[in-house]
Amino acid sequence: MSSHMSSRGLPEFELLIPQTSPEAVDMLAQHREQLSILSGGTALWNYVRGRNRVTPYVLSLSALKGLDYINEIPGEGLRIGAKATVAQLIENPAVSAKYAALHESGYWFGNPTVRNMATVMGNVLRASPSADCSCALLALGCQVILQSKSGQRAVDIDDFWLSYDVTARKPDELAVEIRIPEPKATTRSAFQRLTRVRQDLAKLNVAVRLEMDKGVCQQARIAIGCVGPTTMRVKKTEALLQGKAISDSLLDQLATSVRGEISPIDDQRSTALYRQQVAGVIVKRTISRAAAEKGASL
Amino acid sequence: MKTRLITLCVNGRDYKLEVPHNRTLLQALRDDLQLTDTKYGCGSGECGGCTVLINGKDNVNSCLSLAAEMEGKHITTVGGLTKNGELHPIQQAFVELGAIQCGFCTPGMVMKTASLLAHNPNPSEDDIRRGLEGNICRCTGYENIIRAVQKASQMINAGGARS
Amino acid sequence: MSDLTYVGKNIPKVDAKEKVTGQAMYAGDLQFPDTLFGKIVRCWEHAHAKVTHLDLSEAAKVPGVVKVLGPKDVTQKLYNCGVLDLLASAEVGHMLGEIEDQRIFTDYVKHQGDAICGIIAETQEIAEAAAAKVIVKYEPLPVYLQPEESAKPDAIQFDARKPGNKAFQLPEGMFPNNVYGWGDVDAEMTKAELVIENTFQLPKVKQCQIEPHAYVALFDQRGRLSIWTSTQMPKLVQNKLARLFEMPQSKLNLIPTTIGGGFGGKLGMIFEPETCAMAMAVPGRHIKVQSLREEDWVASESRHPGKYWLKMGFLKDGTPVAADALFTADTGAYFTHATGVPFTAGAWLIGMYKYGAVRYKTNTYYTNKAPSGAFRGYGNPQTNFVLEQTVDQACRQLGIDPVEWRKRWHKQVGDDGWCLGIPYASSSLTECLERGAAKIGWAEKRAKYANQSGPKRRGVGVSVMNHTSGAMPMLLEHTVAKVKMNEDGSAVINVACSDVGAGSHTALTQIAAETLGIPMEDIYIDNNMDSAGFDVGSHASRTAYVGGGAVMKACEDVNRQLIERASERLGIPVDQLEIKNRQVVSKDGKASMSVKEICSVGVSNYVNPANGERNGVPGQIQGYASHFPSHNSPPFGACFAEVEIDIETGQTKVVEMVIAHDIGRAIHPPSVHGQLAGGAQQALGMTLTEEMRYDEKGLIQNNSFFDYKLFGPLDMPKLTTILVENPDPAAPYGLKSVGEAGTVNPVGAVANAVSHALGIMFTEAPITPERILKAVNERGIK
Repeated sequence: MSSHMSSRGLPEFELLIPQTSPEAVDMLAQHREQLSILSGGTALWNYVRGRNRVTPYVLSLSALKGLDYINEIPGEGLRIGAKATVAQLIENPAVSAKYAALHESGYWFGNPTVRNMATVMGNVLRASPSADCSCALLALGCQVILQSKSGQRAVDIDDFWLSYDVTARKPDELAVEIRIPEPKATTRSAFQRLTRVRQDLAKLNVAVRLEMDKGVCQQARIAIGCVGPTTMRVKKTEALLQGKAISDSLLDQLATSVRGEISPIDDQRSTALYRQQVAGVIVKRTISRAAAEKGASL
Repeated sequence: MKTRLITLCVNGRDYKLEVPHNRTLLQALRDDLQLTDTKYGCGSGECGGCTVLINGKDNVNSCLSLAAEMEGKHITTVGGLTKNGELHPIQQAFVELGAIQCGFCTPGMVMKTASLLAHNPNPSEDDIRRGLEGNICRCTGYENIIRAVQKASQMINAGGARS
Repeated sequence: MSDLTYVGKNIPKVDAKEKVTGQAMYAGDLQFPDTLFGKIVRCWEHAHAKVTHLDLSEAAKVPGVVKVLGPKDVTQKLYNCGVLDLLASAEVGHMLGEIEDQRIFTDYVKHQGDAICGIIAETQEIAEAAAAKVIVKYEPLPVYLQPEESAKPDAIQFDARKPGNKAFQLPEGMFPNNVYGWGDVDAEMTKAELVIENTFQLPKVKQCQIEPHAYVALFDQRGRLSIWTSTQMPKLVQNKLARLFEMPQSKLNLIPTTIGGGFGGKLGMIFEPETCAMAMAVPGRHIKVQSLREEDWVASESRHPGKYWLKMGFLKDGTPVAADALFTADTGAYFTHATGVPFTAGAWLIGMYKYGAVRYKTNTYYTNKAPSGAFRGYGNPQTNFVLEQTVDQACRQLGIDPVEWRKRWHKQVGDDGWCLGIPYASSSLTECLERGAAKIGWAEKRAKYANQSGPKRRGVGVSVMNHTSGAMPMLLEHTVAKVKMNEDGSAVINVACSDVGAGSHTALTQIAAETLGIPMEDIYIDNNMDSAGFDVGSHASRTAYVGGGAVMKACEDVNRQLIERASERLGIPVDQLEIKNRQVVSKDGKASMSVKEICSVGVSNYVNPANGERNGVPGQIQGYASHFPSHNSPPFGACFAEVEIDIETGQTKVVEMVIAHDIGRAIHPPSVHGQLAGGAQQALGMTLTEEMRYDEKGLIQNNSFFDYKLFGPLDMPKLTTILVENPDPAAPYGLKSVGEAGTVNPVGAVANAVSHALGIMFTEAPITPERILKAVNERGIK
């Protein structure tokens, strides 16, 4: 019979609402794969309905206190708590001043209601290749801090998305914080996405972080979403930027190189051919925009 | 399935409910409390017909929110804006500016407007368009709704505001 | 236009306050103490299949399930969800080949979403859980997704009455040679100095009204079947349900609920038959059926897609010597509106320009998709995409300005409209073109964008349209209006006219207020279907025009009676009396009698026991009109659009749009502007972003707002709507329709703006960035 999960309500599960993080970690240790974590709720229910199954337990973070921070620690960087929402992200002055790609990814994501409910961490844990904040975080570089009964560990974002829908988080771990290293004064970043209409998931997104030194790019990180099973970096293309001034001919080279590093598919939102052609264009534009950001002489 | 005893505060009134764990806030409002002013439009957080106001300032899609997680929060639905039959300035503006056609998106659209103006009392037209994203109207093309939000912000700033 | 008191005024809509406070009751909001919940179980796995095994026993065992209903547990009578068959005589219907081919629960699935059985339970959740326990086996059949496939000789026949799976073509008996048009197209085409010929592909698009379909029904102890529904066509649906359930109409109690959008999707029955069948199975209990958003795309009707071929011949000076068209329409799995839309698509073509000769044909085929039916515009958006782009191609090649060409060649007063034999009584299209062109800066922009470089390219395009106000003479047009005057001179207008949200009830109230000369607050629109006389319903943009005409006549009937009563009392001839300020006054001002007194005395008419005299003329004043309009006062409109296209990504922004509409007279201006803006949102979607997509098994890919993309507030262009008011002589208060017009000319205007920007005409809609980029690359545009 129909395996269709109705949009009118939710499937059956047991809801767990821990009051403290240690309690949450205990529940994770106890139930592991039998448990889904619920924070904003904007992703989980549609995910569950799309796969037509739900875990027996759902762990709500709603009662946990002290996880909704976005703190800038001078000399260290940005710390984003597990419950910090995208709405908080885009209102945070430190984020818009120094982590432009992350600000932009939150700004263009969703709509005001979704931004109010969705968490930055949730975006990362969802492991969708079209996730916007994830794209910016991969470009900026960061660590995901995971807490279990045996302690905390940090996983580099480059090692966090293992394959489509699969992360490095173990079933008994609670993701508690995202740590982004403080950029240098000459670091520039930017994010751009393409959609069908404004209120949409991305059909393509790009984020870049450029370490500039007097007009020359010392190091680049370029993250692209929607062109592979996970958000990915195009490292060969990044290497072409190393030690170079950003010129039109370099940008054209980068666009060509990008095409060779990605493997997009046809899906609801776009085609492989389109993404193949346009990814390079968006990379060029995002790099140009990042490099042109005003600030101290680069 | 297991149930929880919860207290929901809706439009200033406390309601005690026993809800299954998987009860959405939308189901609790419409089916358990018979407050049908908030609408089921898609059940997936895409149309905004279920938009309610939380703690006077922020919107959530009640179709994606668990009733059990809503304890301790002040929930306002469109019926809660009307006081003794008197329209809130946002409602008045919607009426005056022809922003209501079939009316099905209207409750959610009004609550979205309430959140927008709570955060940004003087929005530009672009702010308003961005601020209404996530609430679908298939009747008006959004034109008269945007005029109504502009009018509402003028009315509220001129002192017509009620908490 | 300022000589009127209520008509033309910007007043709040009569239903605005209940909607904005959340008190308006939509069908899904209705609560009754004893309600059961009905779940219609659908086939989601196949688009074409026989049900070989259906076992409801496990579903029946679920605690809280009250009844399970298979195909044989309900009436097996066939029906047609659409209601056009009631709007043509049996003879014409037979000539058109109308058939009834739908049943409540089927054992032969013809599209994904076809209903196979029903569950009745104590709660919605139990009904859905039980649905999952229905055991069904299918024998899949080949799936036909395009007319070319189902037209093949070896294709499975959808209906024995329709050989070759051709549901409809224009019948020879009404259209010689199965053609609509005039002249000798083949002969005239030989004179052409330029021929433009293309085949266009139109998408299947969905109304997406925000209210999901919901119903309540009750079969009570009087044997009355009550159905609460937001149908657009209450009287016709009442008729159909009474016949389907074999009861007199007086036993079918249709209660209209607030309509949360229709756009043609509710132009007939949707799930009323299933809901009523369920109610009959549980007599004495209310039953509520609430459909899911994801069901909307698979279980209710959408716009007719298809291939639309158009060949037009022109002389070098632009004269359109001939137009030859064929719309190969996809009517989906059931007959529904197979006769309507494929005919009218050609009618709008016929009604637009002064072709030397024109020939329109249609072949309409079944496919294994949800049925195509009525969607606002009714064939006109499709025609607009095709005709207006063809004209622009010719203009480009002949070096003629597209606005000037349209001014020269559009039909005028006295020319035949969309229905040959009914000439236009008014047209302000030239004024629409001129005012719209000025507003958008047509001339400057056409020049400025003629040669561009760089990644961003702009274009500006124009499109015109004609539509109708009511469907006479092709279909029945009839509204009955009754006006009851209360003792205090306030009025109740009893009509079956529905208000889909467009503001019809407000407009009817304004017309009544204006005609009676009493304030709107003293008038109530009573929509009770038991007491109301006939009305066709909301379709063909008819309610203000035909309903308004009926209301106006019924109010004039009241006025006539008031004057006659006053004449009798005052001893003054009727032609010396008029109604002003709620008084019947003599034209010399010397005598008067209040309307309130006449009404009061008519009701509270006492006999003086002393002398046997009455205190006035007895009889409650009631006005009546059974109105059959004599015309269809077609509106015209011009739309201008400016787009900006990024040629490196194909991304398109609609920068600005100007719509000038030949409204005749705007009864309620905010509603007219609102109809144009809302229609534009739908037209923009059809042209740029909306399309229902299927896999090779005929299973829909995008039945959700995640992937069926509508224009949102940030996508909409800067929009100006201009109302050109030159009253139509055949119309009540000179009004012409606007209900559907908004969905039409933005289609052609945007497509033409795109082709102006890029020099490429797109024959397939929606014109997505993917399609644009592909075309730009193929042509090497940099």
